[in-house]
Amino acid sequence: MTVHEQCLSRSEEAVINHHLDALMQQEQEICGAVVSTVDGFHVAARLTGSLSAEKLSAMASSLLAINEAVCRESSMGECRDLVVEASQGRILLMDVPHPAQKLILTVLCRAKTTMGKALWSARSCRESLGRVFSRT
Amino acid sequence: MDQREYKLIFTGSMGAGKTTAIAAVSEVAPLCTDVQNTDHSEFAKATTTTGLDYGEVTLPGGQVLRLFGTPGQTRFRFMWDILGKGALGVVVLVDNSRPDPVRDACDYVQAFSNVIAGTRAVIGVGRCDAYPTPTLEEYDDALKAIGVNVPVISADVRQREHVLTLVDILFYQIEAAETVSSGAVA
Ligand SMILES: Nc1nc2c(ncn2[C@@H]2O[C@H](COP(=O)(O)OP(=O)(O)O)[C@@H](O)[C@H]2O)c(=O)[nH]1
Ligand SMILES: [Mg+2]
Repeated sequence: MTVHEQCLSRSEEAVINHHLDALMQQEQEICGAVVSTVDGFHVAARLTGSLSAEKLSAMASSLLAINEAVCRESSMGECRDLVVEASQGRILLMDVPHPAQKLILTVLCRAKTTMGKALWSARSCRESLGRVFSRT
Repeated sequence: MDQREYKLIFTGSMGAGKTTAIAAVSEVAPLCTDVQNTDHSEFAKATTTTGLDYGEVTLPGGQVLRLFGTPGQTRFRFMWDILGKGALGVVVLVDNSRPDPVRDACDYVQAFSNVIAGTRAVIGVGRCDAYPTPTLEEYDDALKAIGVNVPVISADVRQREHVLTLVDILFYQIEAAETVSSGAVA
């Protein structure tokens, strides 16, 4: 039904789901994670409550697209991660390399999380995903 | 010279030409936030806007218009609300090759009804050469039926002159709306 299924294989989706589970287990203070296409379609999510993976995916797409434009505009090189600091936690957004279609990883963390730890876990997750995709 | 902020919105369905239109007229390097498009069933093009477009154009009278383009897809509706804040009028671009373009026009007009307030808009219908129907009259009738009285013209957004015409008409609609409202106060 959804479009990403044409570009992402079944096994790639399984790998993404596995990675999200591992990420959530590794870091207790990570309370949610979403993988989506760069144009805002949801691919996989680990969310609780009423959070909408569809809506977060669209928002992640807008944020990263604007982030990239800001990096270009200010000649600061390639856009890396986007960290949103909120009063109740942090939201990390980063792209996941893929030979055919770049993806976005969004990670929600509780306020208690040390920034370094959460970023490290999220980056390891995206790098591991990138390595798997480059082999397929 | 007029020091006011003129914030105008370009909206409409995916592929209607919002990004093209702003790039065609902007006097500053247009800001573009297009990313890879994975939804070729909706519109077969390489990229799609998921953030916003931005450009500027100066009218002969010296007024600087700030043009903001929206993403077209409804999943980015939250961007419509963000971009619509403080806008004075809306250019709705329509692709006449779509299954129900009149419906598209009405949907986007309604999504921006707060800004449009019945008159602060212009509809630009594209690809009329290859797709002559529905006619501009059909748009007129459908819009009037939802209480919106705005000009509908055919426009090829790849042509700078066409986009300038849309912007001119919208500017006129805004001026007219403000004359009416200030007249009502006086
Ligand atoms: N043939 C034809 N192509 C058009 C016309 N208007 C726009 N286009 C093309 O349609 C595409 C519109 O893409 P874009 O500007 O990204 O649309 P957006 O999604 O509304 O931002 C561009 O490739 C334009 O060149 C038209 O009247 N005729
Ligand atoms: Mg666009």
